[in-house]
This record gives sequence, C-alpha cells and structure tokens, in this order.
Amino acid sequence: MIRRILATALWLAGGAATAAPFAYITNQGSHDVSVIDLALQKVVATVPVGRSPAGVVASSRAGRVFVSNPDSRTISVIDMRTQRLVDTLPAGSGPVGIDASPDGAQLFVADWYRNRLLLIDTTRHDAAVVEIPVGKAPAGVAVSADGRTVFVAERDDDSVAAIDVASRGIRARVRVGTHPFALLIDEPRQRLYALNVLSDDVSVVDLRTMKLTATVKVGRAPYGAALTHAGRLLYVTNQHADTVSVIDADTLAVQRTLDGFGYPEGVAAHGDRVYVVNWMDDNVSVLDAESGRSLARIDTGKNSRGFGAFIGAPTTP
Amino acid sequence: MQSRALRWLTALALLAGLTGLSGPAAAHGPTRQKVVETIAIDAPADKVWAIIASFDALKNWHPAVAESPASKGNEEGSVRELKLKGGGALTETLESHDAAKMKYSYRAKDGGALPVTNYTSTITVKAEGKGAVVEWRGAFYRGYPNNDPPPDQNDEAAVAAVTGVYKSGLANLKTLAERK
Repeated sequence: MIRRILATALWLAGGAATAAPFAYITNQGSHDVSVIDLALQKVVATVPVGRSPAGVVASSRAGRVFVSNPDSRTISVIDMRTQRLVDTLPAGSGPVGIDASPDGAQLFVADWYRNRLLLIDTTRHDAAVVEIPVGKAPAGVAVSADGRTVFVAERDDDSVAAIDVASRGIRARVRVGTHPFALLIDEPRQRLYALNVLSDDVSVVDLRTMKLTATVKVGRAPYGAALTHAGRLLYVTNQHADTVSVIDADTLAVQRTLDGFGYPEGVAAHGDRVYVVNWMDDNVSVLDAESGRSLARIDTGKNSRGFGAFIGAPTTP
Repeated sequence: MQSRALRWLTALALLAGLTGLSGPAAAHGPTRQKVVETIAIDAPADKVWAIIASFDALKNWHPAVAESPASKGNEEGSVRELKLKGGGALTETLESHDAAKMKYSYRAKDGGALPVTNYTSTITVKAEGKGAVVEWRGAFYRGYPNNDPPPDQNDEAAVAAVTGVYKSGLANLKTLAERK
C-alpha cells in the first residue's frame, strides 16, 4: 500500500507523459546514455553525449543528470524531463568520478590525469572552475548529505581525502586498501565505504573520526556499491569475478554472493530493486533487493559503465 | 581583494590555455576495450571441456601456440608461459578455475606478443541441447598508454589482435571436438 502511494507520488512528481524515476546508464563504447524508465523497465531514450562517458550523477533536486566524458574532457548535462542534452561544461583533462551538491548546483569531479578535484558551478557559465590538488589518480567522489564534505578516492595513493567544501582544504586523509576506486556514503551509520580494486575488499571508514574501522573481503576487483532494502543491505559488484556480494550493513557479514554477471560495474537501487550494469554484456540486470534474485535484463548501449548514482527523478513539476 | 581574485582567475585561464596547447599528446589515456567470441560445437559439453580444461593445454588446441607450461596446473595463481609458433611470448596468471561451471579466468598485466595491457580473459563451455557453446571473452587496454597511439598500438589494433586469437582458437577447438 505504502509502496503504491509512493509510486503514485513519484509518477505525479514526474509530470508530463513519462513516468519517473529513471536510470541513466553511461555507455563508454557507444558514447551515449541509455535512459531506463524504471516503471516500464525499458529504455525510453538514448542520449548522445561526449566521448567515452563513464561517471554519472542523477540530481533529482536539479532535475538534471551530469555525465563525465573523459575523452572529450567535458560534462554533459541531460534534462530529466525531456531526456535531452541541454548543456556541455568543460571539465579538466580527464573527468571520471562525479557527484553533485544536495541542491544540484555544484558538481565535484575527479580530474584523473592532473590529480585535481574540480568544483564546477552548474548554474553559471562564467564561473571559473575551482581546482583542489588531491592525491594520485583521483577516481570516485562522494558528497556528504549536508553538502559540507566531499570525499575523493586517491587510487594510486591507496587513500581517501576528506575535503571541506567551504574552505576547499583537505580536512583529513585516511589510508584504505589497495587502489580504492568507488566510494559510497552510508549516512545513517556515518560511514564511508571505499572499494579497493586490487586488494579485493571494502574499507569501512567512520566519518566522525575518519578512521578505518573494518575491512570486508569481497570478490575480485570490486567496482560499484549501493545500499538497498531500507539501507540494510550493501550490494558490491565484483568486476573480475562476475559476481555481486550482498553484505549485511549492520554486521558487515557477506550474506551471499550472486553470480552470472558480465564484468559488473555500476550498481544503484530504487525501491525494492537493484540495478547492476554489465559492461561485458551491454545490459543491466534487475534484481530483487531482498532475495538477490535476478528478475530481468535490459539491453543498453556498448560497454556500459554507470559509474555513480545513476538513478533519479525530477522533484519539481 | 578584487584584483587578487582577478589575478587568480587569469592564472587559471593561462593554465587552462597551456593545457589546451599541450593538447592530446600529454593528457589522455585509453579506455577499456573488449572482445566476446562464441562458437557452437556439435559435441557434448564435457567432451569439449575435457580438451581445454587444463590451463596448460592451450598448445593442444590453439593453432598459434607452441608451448604453454603452467607453474601450478589449475591452481589459482598458476603462471602460464606461452610461446607462439611465429615467435613471441605471453605470460598469463590463472585467476580462477571452476570445473563444475566449466570455465576459467586468467590475467596478463603486460600483453607480451599482443598489443594490449591489463588483459583479463575468461573461457566458458556451456551445454546447449546435445552440443556445446564456447564463449571466450577478454577485457583489456590498448598497448599505447597515451593519446595519439601509432596504428599498430591503437584500440582497433588491440581488438583485432585479441579477436584473431579467439577466433582461430575456437575454430580449431571446434574441428578437434567434432572429430569422430
């Protein structure tokens, strides 16, 4: 019942003829974004973007989706209501990981080749991009719910930096596993998860102390993470193992390992479903969040990645 | 205060301009490529698997491979030293081997004779009706790490080389497995 009301509310919030929310899957091989209508469970639009799109953040508040294109060094901006490209912003030398401030007005982008975190104002074209020097090969980026702190995975330094958004200074730095790539914030537990591609584990960092509190062993080359089932389960994709680890977020015990994926990369959750992007298979697996059961596969573009929070629904009519 | 901000902006603009001038040569790196090849074989899956199951058996079924000794057989971490018939070598490490699922995965940091780097590959046999389908797939980066690669080390060259290895191997495997 509650779910139906929620679905109706989301439908109304989406307005117009199309239903919301949507999943925005970056396709690095076909240089476009597949837009999946989660109510219809099918691709409703394919939006051409820059070269080799990888990172993505769907900002419901802004009603926009921001996509990083490392090979054209830009951010593509997609309007969630029309599913059209509405803007292209310059973004350093090789933008990868991307997240947005809670209001969607500011972007935080990892500039891989120049070891910078870029702060980009999405509302003003004349605003200069702010650059903050960070560690080597910055990859995943995650912003706290209050928008005050942004975290960056410094892959080749095996560390995560916490940056104070107001002062633009590095507030703390914590050593994690080997080659952290993706980051995920768990607000209720005040935790940060760092996925370590070479040590095959997840570092759990306490956000209050910025100390490493636990390490969870997963499959080979963990690449993406999402919380689901009311935040009780943590899903982690293991790229080289073709599996997904399902972790009890309270106990940090691996509950089960799902197989049959194709080089799984991005993962995001909505309602009682989890969406896993299969880079090798050019599609998205739809899973039941609680059981992990595979429900469907939805074909996307080529070499799909979906690196980031790729699900969103516009919140204003 | 304002002039300082302006100076800062000018500095950023100059920096951006310089980066623009240094252009593609310095800044950019490759994106990951893939190859997926499958072949239908008119022979039972377990018979096909028996031919390829041993990590060191590649020389028995791949027409381009002269030698393929593996340091620890089918154990994880086993290192396979390939020597090719036309010359050239390639070192691969076994990542996983699953006889029940009839598949194994391996990786090579350096592509050796192949114009690739950070190469990972999986070969799988699946039963289909009375026959089998074999899938061989790989993920890798091109050999040249920067922008503007020479033609023999670009994305197309990497994809073409791996495709050639898979196609010729699978075609020969089919011939061997279907032999009565």
